[in-house]
Amino acid sequence: MEDLKTKLKEQIIEQLNLEGYNVSDIKDDMPLFGDGLGLDSIDALELIVLLENNYNIKITNPEEGKSVFNSINSMADYITNNKK
Amino acid sequence: MSYISTYCHISLNQCFVDGKQTHQFNSLSIDQFLKDLYTALSLDYPKFYKMDRLTKLAFIGTELLKKEHPEITMYNDNEIALLFGNNNSSALTDINFKESYQNGGSPSPSLFVYTLPNILLGEIAIRNKWYGENMFIVNENFDSVYFINYVNILLNKNAEAVFCGWLNVNDEMVEAFLFFVSKKDIIQLNLPFEKSKLIELYQENKL
Amino acid sequence: MDIYITGIGVISAIGFNVQENYQALKNKKTGIEPARFFKYKTKLLVGEVKLSNQEIISQLNVSVPISRTSLLGIVAAKEAWGDNKSNKLIRTGIISSTSVGGMDNSEIYYKQKLQTDNPDLSLITTHESGGTTNRIAEEIGITGFINTISTACSSGANAIMLGARMLQQNKLDRVLVGGSDCLTKFTIEGFKSLMIYSDEWVKPFDNERKGLNLGEGSGFLLLENEKSIAISKNKKLAQLSGWGNASDAYHQTASSPDGKGATLAMLNALKKSNIEASSISYINTHGTGTPNNDLSESVALKNIFQHVVPSFSSTKAYTGHTLAASGTIEAVYAVLALQNNVTFPNLNFSTPITETMLIPELECNPKQNINYVLSNSFGFGGNNTSLILKKA
Repeated sequence: MEDLKTKLKEQIIEQLNLEGYNVSDIKDDMPLFGDGLGLDSIDALELIVLLENNYNIKITNPEEGKSVFNSINSMADYITNNKK
Repeated sequence: MSYISTYCHISLNQCFVDGKQTHQFNSLSIDQFLKDLYTALSLDYPKFYKMDRLTKLAFIGTELLKKEHPEITMYNDNEIALLFGNNNSSALTDINFKESYQNGGSPSPSLFVYTLPNILLGEIAIRNKWYGENMFIVNENFDSVYFINYVNILLNKNAEAVFCGWLNVNDEMVEAFLFFVSKKDIIQLNLPFEKSKLIELYQENKL
Repeated sequence: MDIYITGIGVISAIGFNVQENYQALKNKKTGIEPARFFKYKTKLLVGEVKLSNQEIISQLNVSVPISRTSLLGIVAAKEAWGDNKSNKLIRTGIISSTSVGGMDNSEIYYKQKLQTDNPDLSLITTHESGGTTNRIAEEIGITGFINTISTACSSGANAIMLGARMLQQNKLDRVLVGGSDCLTKFTIEGFKSLMIYSDEWVKPFDNERKGLNLGEGSGFLLLENEKSIAISKNKKLAQLSGWGNASDAYHQTASSPDGKGATLAMLNALKKSNIEASSISYINTHGTGTPNNDLSESVALKNIFQHVVPSFSSTKAYTGHTLAASGTIEAVYAVLALQNNVTFPNLNFSTPITETMLIPELECNPKQNINYVLSNSFGFGGNNTSLILKKA
């Protein structure tokens, strides 16, 4: 699970163009949206693409995405439970 | 009579404001150059990194002029209009977007956002909270007459100033000419906003 | 100086010309259905023009290569131009707009390039936005002032605005203004990636709306000043009395919750028109059917009109969202509303948006004379434009 979380952080930094961020800057339980990492609505859509391209998981309802993308922890849990 | 209060030229690794060089870099790529210029201007705006090359260029150009002459933005939020143009729309990003899904991947929404050239106007407006008019034109070449006519229309209506830009990017180059036209000659450079002067400034520094 | 509309042309999912579009609007006949000609991997609801490229090419007798965007533009431009001829005494121009340009052909080329050894290079010669305008200008026979606007979904409305300004500034006497966009995989994939493409028929201003359906088409209008009309003797179909553009300065693709940019655009148009908000008889809204736009636009309407919002509707449940063409197609519909004293029903509506509780127009018969029509077009990048048309 730790490997997955580290990999996720690397993928997020790259795909979302988070310049100047290191893996150590993103805490596992840090809110990804709002106060925390401060991602926006387009970032949310890119995370959906990230799940599809890297983990073969398709989220079709953006509302579902809200709880999945809460933090690295929630993303890692979701991937572990749904990976195909 | 209105005036070109300030202007700049940006091309790979160099910037000129009002005819004088302000920055020079040895960056090894266009994208690195834009990052280096962003850093040199000490801008604290992480959204910059999400922009595509065309938008970064426009954004950086306006920030460069604002930095050199902060007084140019002393207007109410609906008094500055934006008038930009280029010759190839959002072609570079269009290709990147297409590649994101062509080979079985999922199309990238953050790339799709920039497949319209006028998004750069939106980014400048968002950064500065400017609610004035904004227009983007696609022409084969820089058309001084178009800019003169349109700016005069805008200054006769709601605008006190117009931020203008003609910028082109492709795989191998970036080139921007930005100029700020206002009713008052803010910096006192004494550059009247008329055709021959505009063409002269556009052609300055051209290799 | 007064600006008159003396020619209109349109091709869309609901008809190949003005009359056909008008009949469909009055009879509540939508053009949105699964694609017939456009190939896509899954079933997709689109507002497709029900003609193949080959059919249009034969009809127009034009040479290839040519993009579908240009083809649609030429059909509408020719209808608007009618029997007009070039005349040394009338300074004439053309301003068109597009967001996809010749992307349809470029997509075919790209696929060929990936799969074969000899892709047809001529297909990418039609790609450029400016190129599509040039082609339309060539077919009509307009030289001199030729311009292309590209500001996403407000492009067409901005082309009309620029045309009007060129007349008012005495740079031109008459100008053909228009917009054209065709369906492409590029835009479909893009809107799907933003999760605003609905797999159901679009429901503008409905509380259960899920997103837009894309459409294609073209609209053109001929604008003339009095000097030009004295020579051309064209009939005045309507008058363009006001326009306004403003920036929303909020987000690249979403509209602000307080509808600031939309409000400013409408205010500017009313100011230009020199009328009060209460003079507006009917509004053709932008009304794409996305959760975001329809709420933001509703808020803006209430900002301007308070609790007396006039009759309003979106015609995008007929045509789909035709992107750059939408401002011009809908301006043509505004002319029809003024000429015939009708409103056009907002299809597929059942429940008003909870936050604003506005109910759109559901029928054709207005309760008052249609004297002034407001038409909104709001583009990505926060580019908002409003036009006001008046009875001639």
